Amino acid sequence: MSGQYLAFFVLALIALGGGIFMLNLNKVVHMVVALVFTFVSIAGIYVLLSAEFVAAVQVLIYSGAITIIMLFGIMLTRHQDDGQSTGSPLRKALALLGTVAFGAVMYIGIRTLDFGTEAVGLHENNTEQIGIALYSKYVIPFELTSVLLLVALIGAVILAKKDDKEEGE
Amino acid sequence: MMENAWLIPLFPFVSFVVLLVVGKQLKERSAYVGMLLTFISLIYALGVLYERWTAPTYKQAYTWLTIGNVQLTVGFEVNALNALMLVVVSLVSFLVHTYAKGYMHGDERFPVFYAYLGLFTFAMLGLVISPNLLQTYMFWELVGLGSFLLIGFYFYKEEAKAAAKKAFIMTRIGDVGLLIGMILLFLEVGSFEYEAIFAALQNGNISTTIITLSAILIFVGAVGKSGQFPLHTWLPDAMEGPTPVSALIHAATMVAAGVYLVATLFPLYEASETAMMTVAYVGGFTAIFAASIGLVQTDIKRVLAYSTVSQLGYMMLALGSAGYVAGIFHLMTHAFFKALLFLAAGSVIHAVHTQNIEQMGGLWKKMKWTAPLFLIGTLAISGFPLFSGFFSKDEILLAAWTHGHVGLFIVAVIAAFFTAFYMFRLFFLVFAGEARTNVHDVHESPMVMVLPMIVLGVLAVVSGYVQTPWGAFLGEWLTEGTNWHAHAEGPSWIMIVATIVSLCGIALAWLIYGKQAIARDWLSSRFPMTYNVLMNKYYVDEFYGLTVMRATAFISLLFEYIDRFLVEGIARSLAAATRGIGRIGSRLQNGQVQMYGTVTIVALAILVVIFAVTGGYL
Amino acid sequence: MSVPLSAYLVFALLLFCIGLYGALTKRNTVIVLICIELMLNAVNVNLVAFSKYGVNPGITGQLFSLFTITVAAAEVAVGLAILIALYRNRKTIHIDEVDTMKR
Repeated sequence: MSGQYLAFFVLALIALGGGIFMLNLNKVVHMVVALVFTFVSIAGIYVLLSAEFVAAVQVLIYSGAITIIMLFGIMLTRHQDDGQSTGSPLRKALALLGTVAFGAVMYIGIRTLDFGTEAVGLHENNTEQIGIALYSKYVIPFELTSVLLLVALIGAVILAKKDDKEEGE
Repeated sequence: MMENAWLIPLFPFVSFVVLLVVGKQLKERSAYVGMLLTFISLIYALGVLYERWTAPTYKQAYTWLTIGNVQLTVGFEVNALNALMLVVVSLVSFLVHTYAKGYMHGDERFPVFYAYLGLFTFAMLGLVISPNLLQTYMFWELVGLGSFLLIGFYFYKEEAKAAAKKAFIMTRIGDVGLLIGMILLFLEVGSFEYEAIFAALQNGNISTTIITLSAILIFVGAVGKSGQFPLHTWLPDAMEGPTPVSALIHAATMVAAGVYLVATLFPLYEASETAMMTVAYVGGFTAIFAASIGLVQTDIKRVLAYSTVSQLGYMMLALGSAGYVAGIFHLMTHAFFKALLFLAAGSVIHAVHTQNIEQMGGLWKKMKWTAPLFLIGTLAISGFPLFSGFFSKDEILLAAWTHGHVGLFIVAVIAAFFTAFYMFRLFFLVFAGEARTNVHDVHESPMVMVLPMIVLGVLAVVSGYVQTPWGAFLGEWLTEGTNWHAHAEGPSWIMIVATIVSLCGIALAWLIYGKQAIARDWLSSRFPMTYNVLMNKYYVDEFYGLTVMRATAFISLLFEYIDRFLVEGIARSLAAATRGIGRIGSRLQNGQVQMYGTVTIVALAILVVIFAVTGGYL
Repeated sequence: MSVPLSAYLVFALLLFCIGLYGALTKRNTVIVLICIELMLNAVNVNLVAFSKYGVNPGITGQLFSLFTITVAAAEVAVGLAILIALYRNRKTIHIDEVDTMKR
């Protein structure tokens, strides 16, 4: 199915291109914008993998919420700074070497990996399937996740507000 | 009584333990503890001797260790020799315990002295009842330890410290020989038991080479302990110890241990002509060698020390000439008269506070007891007729003659002449004439010191009569059940020669030092070289200093350099490497998360690569 | 004939490596955080790919990626809160100037 191939290649190219741009751009805001491309194309990949609901969530949370929060974060701090890489060249080289070695070994591992079995019916009523699984089999993790989000919410508020209180006192 | 003979060494050991624990509280009363317990030992030993006079040898052994099919035993044995030694050792020990109460009076470490005496007596008594070589060796070393502690008793004196070390090291050299000889015998026989060794000898189970080799190696141990040439140098130096110690250890008992060992293993030596010859010649040489040094020494205790070395040489000569009875007989008489001489010398030193005989003189009138007793001892050691030394020395000369060692016989006669001469030289210098220095407060020693000397004086006279040319009680008893000669039969002119020789020595000494008819420096002015050589003890110490000690110093220097540069270098480079790694590590820990992350990733990459290469199996 | 599993995995691997390298070398803390998000995304791609082509294909993989996204969102919220608190205190968001761990 050459259409699927074509879509995959285009999406993958955009995603990786966004990542590489992120690494090489100078301005912080530009980097974040480059990553928006990556996130959106990953959503496209999800569609290719018959995960429409996850794709929607990806667009909403990553491309929407997280990116916007990050931009806010940049604007609240010294956003005029450039995002130049840091550290000694040796450390950079070491990081590059380690990453490449890791990637190479992993590539050797997955090069020929193909289980051949393909799940069918994932794209039919995808959201309904997820909903049924989430509220029956995975209801406890789901509830725990809500607790986690609550904790994160309160924690974030306390962390961000802490100094104001001290200044006020 | 013989069944419980093992109790005899235990009494002094109890004394040692008790004095170690409560000696501080007892102070000088510790002497009574030591005296009482050694007295019990003495009584017991006399009882054992009395019983053994008629009863057969008693032996008891218990299994100590079983290693494979080798059984090591401990136990005790009462044979004629052991019973005799028990009495000699416990008697001299008891007398010295008594004597030291007066001699050591006022010493700060009085209880410690008695504790050490107890330890030594325990070890020596244990040594003489040991039924096997291993037990003998253990007590042998314990005796050495006791000797070391007592020589170094005045450890704040440099000479005493050096002498103690020297005694320990020199005897150790001999002990190594003994140990090797023991192991050789054990490998051949498979047992340390004397009985098993003798049985194997009789059955001819041991090759002649091994017999000779082990006998000579064990003799090396005896050479070290008994101060025979060339390991004799520690004994004169050991005189740095308190005089009672010199009397007990370095005259009567411990130094006789070498002779005792050779006597105990006499069948082993008998089986090898070479070993016998070695023993005889070393003994003979030591006898004349030490006697010649004794001619010129000026320290009262050193003269006695060289005389001890010389007399021990005599005993070895006797044993080496198949004179089993003669050697033991002389060992016994020598123990009495030499202990007497040392105690009397101690009494003199106690009175005049010097050991230099040049500064003494004219003490005959001032010391009413000591002087005659010293004279008795001198007469006995000189072989004056009818004193104990006369009979035992005669026995040795007869043994040497009948065994066919004419050369050794002549050597022994000359040594006897020397002995008579230097002993009377000593006597005349100390007691005759006028006082050469003004010592006013010379007084006789207290009775507690005189009484032991009187006992020994009596023994020095009468102990010779157990074995005379007219009746060999001792010899017959000692050689019961063996084919050894109870009494050496020889021409009767030997006794006359011995008498004449000793009388000549006495006369010469009298002429020079008593009547002063011959100038004292007659010899030293005519033969200054000879005199110097004798005065410096044949430069043996200097020779050792130049050869053995230099070599040892060189080797230790070499090892010091190896230690400093090689071992320490390795240690230092290890430390430097560790420190270097630490420095790199601390630079990595700069607080930056990204550095930590990088390190983690690199490490992970390395791990992953290793896993990929090896397929996950290290 | 669909796109093979290994293609998705290689794609995810490349994304992961880009994110890792960025997280280790970028100076701005915001970018470091966002790089970590990129790595999480790569993991999500893997999960979803296995949910379709795995040994036991099924909906579970997608569910897991949903949980991951949730946790990632929470993490970003807390991370940014820390970042702002840090900025207020130290007047910097450069990660190499934050070395209190050393002390």
